[in-house]
Amino acid sequence: MSEAGLALLFFGCVCGALMLGFPVAFTLAGVSLLFALVGEAAGFFDPAFLQALPNRLYGTMINETLIAVPLFVFMGVTLERSRIAESLLDTMAAAFGQLRGGLAFSVLAVGVLMAASTGIVGATVVTMGLLSLPSMLRARYDPRVATGTICAAGTLGQIIPPSIVLVILGDVVSNAYQQAQLNLGTFSPKTVSVGELFVGAIIPGMLLVGGYFIYLVGTAVLRPEWMPAPEDTGFDRPGIGQIFSALVAPLALIVAVLGSIMLGVATPTEAAAVGASGALLLALLQGQLTFMRLRDVMQTTVHVTSMVFLILIGASVFSLVFRGIGGEEVVHELLTGLPGGQVGALLAVMALLFVLGFVLDFIEITFVVVPIVGPVLLAMGVDPIWLGILIAINLQTSFLTPPFGFALFYLRGVAPKTISTRAIYRGVVPFIVIQLTVLGVIAAWPALVTWLPAQVYGG
Amino acid sequence: MKHLLALNEWIGRAVAWLTLAMVLVTLTIVVARYGFSIGSIAVQESVTYLHGIVFMLGAAYALRHDQHVRVDIFYREFTKRRKAWVDFLGVLFLLLPTCAYILLVSTDYVAAAWQVREGSREAGGLPLVYLLKTLIPITALLVAFEGILIAVARARFILTGRRA
Repeated sequence: MSEAGLALLFFGCVCGALMLGFPVAFTLAGVSLLFALVGEAAGFFDPAFLQALPNRLYGTMINETLIAVPLFVFMGVTLERSRIAESLLDTMAAAFGQLRGGLAFSVLAVGVLMAASTGIVGATVVTMGLLSLPSMLRARYDPRVATGTICAAGTLGQIIPPSIVLVILGDVVSNAYQQAQLNLGTFSPKTVSVGELFVGAIIPGMLLVGGYFIYLVGTAVLRPEWMPAPEDTGFDRPGIGQIFSALVAPLALIVAVLGSIMLGVATPTEAAAVGASGALLLALLQGQLTFMRLRDVMQTTVHVTSMVFLILIGASVFSLVFRGIGGEEVVHELLTGLPGGQVGALLAVMALLFVLGFVLDFIEITFVVVPIVGPVLLAMGVDPIWLGILIAINLQTSFLTPPFGFALFYLRGVAPKTISTRAIYRGVVPFIVIQLTVLGVIAAWPALVTWLPAQVYGG
Repeated sequence: MKHLLALNEWIGRAVAWLTLAMVLVTLTIVVARYGFSIGSIAVQESVTYLHGIVFMLGAAYALRHDQHVRVDIFYREFTKRRKAWVDFLGVLFLLLPTCAYILLVSTDYVAAAWQVREGSREAGGLPLVYLLKTLIPITALLVAFEGILIAVARARFILTGRRA
């Protein structure tokens, strides 16, 4: 069998095995090892490639960039468990709920502010769905508008900094960038940092939020019956003090975290620790920090962190075997052989990621696929920060796209039966149009991504 | 016996406290650097160690609580029986071989680190790299142990129809 055939067979086996539903981390590692075993017996795999494994594992343990992951998880879980997110939504709904479309804007704002989610698309959408869908339906919102807004706002947090997937993507793209330069013979490679990716995500994130906002305002004006102002929101109008503690405090926290990274005074890891401490303090001040809840936060942090890093370990085994059977050269030849050069290769990768987004979550795709295709694209001269942001928005769009999008599945799971699946599919269409527009705009003008990091970090 | 079977539960709950330690130690580092311009490589490295301990020793704990993500587009529609089969066969053919392999290849690696009592490459760093590396085989053992418990529980369910 040719190398291309083998690589395809291997990739197919892994994808097929993943569909069975056994945990991703062990499936990746297990199938790769079984494939390597067969390959060794049949003479197409040299086991020497796997000797690097212990050192890879150790490298994962001492990876300094990724230390930000548990800290951001800690912060996000604290905000969520201490009901800071919930009271933010309630207060905003009470403050703006009287306005036409007020609830939808509240959902959007909470989606943006609660960006420090756990990095799992399902979890965020489920939380948002449980929190806000009932109130929107009670206020007689059109189910399409309600579900569309929740799906879009729930996935938006993935790509608005500070987010865990951007930390992971930053680390992976940075490694790919160094490898690309080494392959080209540059032995003092330039680097990209997670901070640069955070800063690069700001303008695209604002474009997306702006797009959503314009759509919601337009709907509120043109189709007032779709998002009516309720006579009674069921909330008392909050006092200034209430608004302050519910809105300003978490907002200040997010701004402090992002600001310190942008100003270059803190690394993402340091900012994450400050954010986590701030979240604890906030929970304490609001009387929400009980011993049980703290324990719950810590244990959830262990769960999420171990889950993320075990996928990384599984992905390292996969990549060693993939390299061992010559898969990297196959991908390299395939991508550089496409018509249209850089643009053609980029389009092909984006299409692949979009399709993979139907079955795999952000973390798996970032750890498994980006290290393979990233170095090739970057060696062709694609800007690393731009690439990272394109991948992020592309995947977010994929998670929204019917009929397979993750976000839709999970919202379906928590939405009442009276809402048809069709309504959910219809509801996200305007948001997908916005996503694709922003993706196109950013693809056409890379400066929208690269300009701000260059200002902050001095190019 | 009951306590032994819950081994990973105890380890996980203990390790959970280290996440709080990570937050507080890193916060201290930030305050010390920007407030007092002092820094310590050993303290810096201790956060890395804590991080490594958390996710390595937490791996089996997360497995115990079924917190490792699955691709569940088909799995979630499966009957309980079929899910039990997936888990049983998955442990047998994917999880256990992975743990066995990691155990196998990491033995020499860790032994070499112990032989020289490998420490930090940085001056003033922690001299405990050999202990950190030892987490690799320990994690493989703990995950394998939890995997076997899961396989036994699923096998019992498949055979008797009773949830363990």
